[in-house]
Amino acid sequence: MTRTEHVALKGTRDGLILYLDPTADFDVLMKELNQHLGESAEFWRGAAVRCYAGGREYSSEEKEGLASLLQKHALELSGWLSVPGKGPESQAVVAPEHDQHAQDEGQTEGKALFVKRTLRSGTSIQFEGHVVIMGDVNPGAEVIATGNIIVMGALRGVAHAGATGDRKAMVSAYNLAPTQLRIADLVTRAPKDEAGSEGPEVARIKDNHLIVEGV
Amino acid sequence: MVTSGKGGVGKTTTSANLGTGLASAGHKVVLVDTDIGLRNLDVVMGLENRIVYDIVDVTSGNCRLKQALIKDKRFENLYLLPAAQTKDKTAVSPEQMRTLAAELKEEFDFAVIDCPAGIEQGFRNAIAGADRAVVVTTPEVSAVRDADRIIGLLEANELRNPRLIINRIRPQMVKRGDMMDISDILDILAIELLGVVPEDESIVISTNRGEPAVMDHSSKAGEAYRRITRRIRGEEVPLMNLDVPDGLMDRLKRLIGMR
Repeated sequence: MTRTEHVALKGTRDGLILYLDPTADFDVLMKELNQHLGESAEFWRGAAVRCYAGGREYSSEEKEGLASLLQKHALELSGWLSVPGKGPESQAVVAPEHDQHAQDEGQTEGKALFVKRTLRSGTSIQFEGHVVIMGDVNPGAEVIATGNIIVMGALRGVAHAGATGDRKAMVSAYNLAPTQLRIADLVTRAPKDEAGSEGPEVARIKDNHLIVEGV
Repeated sequence: MVTSGKGGVGKTTTSANLGTGLASAGHKVVLVDTDIGLRNLDVVMGLENRIVYDIVDVTSGNCRLKQALIKDKRFENLYLLPAAQTKDKTAVSPEQMRTLAAELKEEFDFAVIDCPAGIEQGFRNAIAGADRAVVVTTPEVSAVRDADRIIGLLEANELRNPRLIINRIRPQMVKRGDMMDISDILDILAIELLGVVPEDESIVISTNRGEPAVMDHSSKAGEAYRRITRRIRGEEVPLMNLDVPDGLMDRLKRLIGMR
């Protein structure tokens, strides 16, 4: 989960929800949102977003302004929520502890997608849950999952695990040589020297750094 | 069909040589140029000045197929169906290509379809009528990347098991480790290798003259295309020996233990 003072963008089972602090000034909200999206929009790209602002009503100009700002960052405003996501939750911005807990649960179980082929350049797999590829992920292909990514072959393309902000997600492959590796909000490139170690490896976040180690 | 994704890797040269090679082996062959608007195959075959009707005239019913086919200068049993130069790719639809391919199949043993670069309408037209695909790449990361994309698209369009030609390989550079070698490329693309064609200056000459290198017995690339032709006909032919003889300096260096 990523958040600033008055806005928070959160991935849920039912898609992205943008929480706006109902007590904050609209211009402040817009400014913060713009900055926030500028930093992290890449992994929300193309998603549909629903907004929640407690009991507050915005004018139609303000709503339009919000929609165009989202569009500028390749997001689509798909609707407004009257209740904050599923179930009764605290007012306005959701407490991060609560959110973290829900994500943890998703890590231990949750859905998994099995792909029984090699992903060639130009293919993109996006899945809410874990993804297992029985084949290679070639350069120019990408796999984006909200959970873990496991490649039973060579990972040479782009992989993004924990795409909605789960920092406990990991990426592993028999031959881990990605063009780019992303976990949650961290991005890393493969080291220049190609002589990677042989055998399966796993990448995860440790102490705020993306590390790669043998399985 | 002969395709690659990327431009300039040698689709047209390969098409011309495969077609000519197959014709010289006695098959009845037609070369189909689907690169509408940027036609080249006629030039490479040296038949540009004989074009009256083209593929668009055929598919739109302006003329009969027989009228548009151009007989080759060298082989009685080799024909060219040229692309139109003044139209664009939308002038033909995949449906029309399927009809055309069915018609050609009755007349000819082989129809070699030269596909345009890219993955847009021209590519979709070219694959519509094809039964088998040959993917051409060069030993460059960009070309291999595009070939990978193309193979994915071919598979998505039910053209299974495409075969690969690696074109313009430079054995000396591979030896020095400055160029991707065959196994690097096969590692990524993971399809059957149909042949390897070395970089050869004689290709430029033969292309400019409009005489495919496959007929030139002194050309290394020509030899490679002859082998590829035989493999397409179902023969088992070993890969060409691309080893370069060591130069004097190499031998000296080895003698004094420098390498």
